[in-house]
Amino acid sequence: MTDHDHDHVRTVAPMVDEITDFEVLEIAVRELCIEKGLFTADDHRSFTEFAEHIGPTPAAHMVARAWLDPEFKKLVLADAIAASREVGVDWLQPTGFGTPSDFTALHVLEDSPTLHHVIVCSLCSCYPRPILGNSPEWYRTPNYRRRIVRWPRQVLAEFGLYLPEDVAIRVEDSNQKHRFMVMPVRPQGTQGWDEDQLAAIVTRDCLIGVALPKVGVTSNAITDTRPAIHPANH
Amino acid sequence: MCSIEHVEIAPLAKIVERHQVWSHIAAKYGVENPVPPWKTSLDGICDALDQGGCGPEILSFVDRRNEEDTLSATVYSNLPYPENQLVSLAHSLVARGVIDETELQERLTGIRARLEAG
Repeated sequence: MTDHDHDHVRTVAPMVDEITDFEVLEIAVRELCIEKGLFTADDHRSFTEFAEHIGPTPAAHMVARAWLDPEFKKLVLADAIAASREVGVDWLQPTGFGTPSDFTALHVLEDSPTLHHVIVCSLCSCYPRPILGNSPEWYRTPNYRRRIVRWPRQVLAEFGLYLPEDVAIRVEDSNQKHRFMVMPVRPQGTQGWDEDQLAAIVTRDCLIGVALPKVGVTSNAITDTRPAIHPANH
Repeated sequence: MCSIEHVEIAPLAKIVERHQVWSHIAAKYGVENPVPPWKTSLDGICDALDQGGCGPEILSFVDRRNEEDTLSATVYSNLPYPENQLVSLAHSLVARGVIDETELQERLTGIRARLEAG
């Protein structure tokens, strides 16, 4: 064995050497559902592959390209499904074999210096998954869903986004047929940037509307989820 | 069916009690993945249920999500996400009689034996 091999052994990524109850439960539920005919193993594999590869990168590029190209921006606002194809996402066939939910229309909400958008699904957790990936945990919580509608300015401040009073906030409620994403205003200090540079600062949180793109910020806020203090049924 | 959170499911209660949640396991082994490796397969189950053969008739998307919210705030309030999503899904399926509780326990035992056999 050479020195190089030793180095390689020492730096190998750590692995979990334990079988957890949750891992076992996931397999059990899956096997039993397949055996009972709720879905097929092929369906499950296809949807899992879809879940493996989705993420917010295509949406970030859509926004970055729209900032750079006025014609593309017109397409984004007029026909977001067509614009999605330009960044590699086909909403009609996002998995290559069918949509993971009912056919949905995507709408891109354009912010301005006096209007800010934020998205929610007040009913459940509808989210533009084909182009934004899986929703973060907090987006799914009843707490966010209820409070962002009632007190948007306060909830955005909890994410660290303090908007001046002269900026109106519009909360857009997603549903089974309509999904939304936000196109924020291109920030100061990005003159001369190319699409990749711009896309790097268009984070998932910016596309949901709980953050604004900022030079030097390329990651999302870590947000604690809290149980609702006043659940709807009380 | 009485309200979903009042259905007691012994095999799931045992799993909650052992509390092998990903944050603990990841810290114990120094792994940095933010979510457990079974998460995408769980997403696959949920999507397949919503779309596949007779899944939606048995547990619709809206019912699944509503029950997940209810159970995550009550019976499984000590579990983080996505463990609460997984256990809530299993709970909904057992509460509907789609999966029998004894059958679930036997399957859990069998799968663990299979995985530990190496």
